[in-house]
Amino acid sequence: MYIIVVGAGTVGYGLAVELQGYPDHEVTLIENDAARASELHEELGELVVWGDGTEIVDLEAAGAGRADLMIALTGDDGRNLVACQVAKHWFHVDRAIARVNDPRNERLFKALGIDVTVSAAAAVLAQLETSLPEHTVVPLMQLQGSGLEVVDLRVQEDSVASGSAIRELELPYQTVFSLVVGLDGAPRVPTADTVLQTGDEVIAVIAEDAEDKLRRLFAAPLAPELETVADGG
Amino acid sequence: MGCGRVGASLAARLDHEHHDIVVIDLNSNQFRRLPSDFGGRTLVGSGTDHRILLEAGIEQAHAFLALAHGDNRNVLASQIAKHLFGVETVVTRLYDPFRAELFQRLGLRTFSPTDIGADLAYEALSDRALTGE
Repeated sequence: MYIIVVGAGTVGYGLAVELQGYPDHEVTLIENDAARASELHEELGELVVWGDGTEIVDLEAAGAGRADLMIALTGDDGRNLVACQVAKHWFHVDRAIARVNDPRNERLFKALGIDVTVSAAAAVLAQLETSLPEHTVVPLMQLQGSGLEVVDLRVQEDSVASGSAIRELELPYQTVFSLVVGLDGAPRVPTADTVLQTGDEVIAVIAEDAEDKLRRLFAAPLAPELETVADGG
Repeated sequence: MGCGRVGASLAARLDHEHHDIVVIDLNSNQFRRLPSDFGGRTLVGSGTDHRILLEAGIEQAHAFLALAHGDNRNVLASQIAKHLFGVETVVTRLYDPFRAELFQRLGLRTFSPTDIGADLAYEALSDRALTGE
């Protein structure tokens, strides 16, 4: 597979080094800062080129016409979006992955046909959230195109899930519990008879719109007065 | 979006025609290009920033023109205006004629001053020099 990576910041550089280790992949890393490009050229060799990854002539020179995958990782959403759109619509590259710096642009990138978006902010946020004991549902990864996602669930005290066997829970359609990590830290593949305990962590595949239902099963019940308000609303 | 020579001159013209105008620029210094009787609003910020666009009233806008320097910023802002806020008419300046052609195909109204400039220069040359030969 021939992969073009645009933007040799920390992420782009790290990815290029990683991909270089796979004999089946050929990689070109395009960086528009001359000093950064020449520094990396010395370290990584021919795979680093100096150029503008949104410029059609530069992409042409980098062999975009035969590329299978475009990955745009600069710190500028405009550059990432344009690099991907030029790759897809001018050079007919099959797949384009863009880093989204401003989370509000994620919907736009998806609507414009960018296949995968990666957001550093969302990744860091998810990591922080999973380390909070109070979390109930934290999205870890979108399964592209299927409408499914991988989430991390934690069983809260007095929740519906706590003390229930999995078969007793009314789980939303397409929910699969892949892994249960108990308080002892040991991972187990659950069966329908597995009884969930407070503090258990569950890695599950769920439909993207099922988060709220699962939250209701895994969260501690609301205080009575809040519940009344919630019902009234 | 963009209060350079083109943006400022266009904003002044549309303002004289009694349109409701908001000019966005990253640099408040640029607003000095607007005439002293300019009746529209000016807003300091980025036209790719959703918050600034909302403050400019993008949800009620009939048209959005991206005339900043930097083709990619213009393309991003234009597509935000068109696809996220549903602005009917979106005009985008792209210095690069190739990208202008591509994004025209993808639904923006684009123009390239590079093409227009080259054409004008060529015509001027044909009038004076080429016919004289």
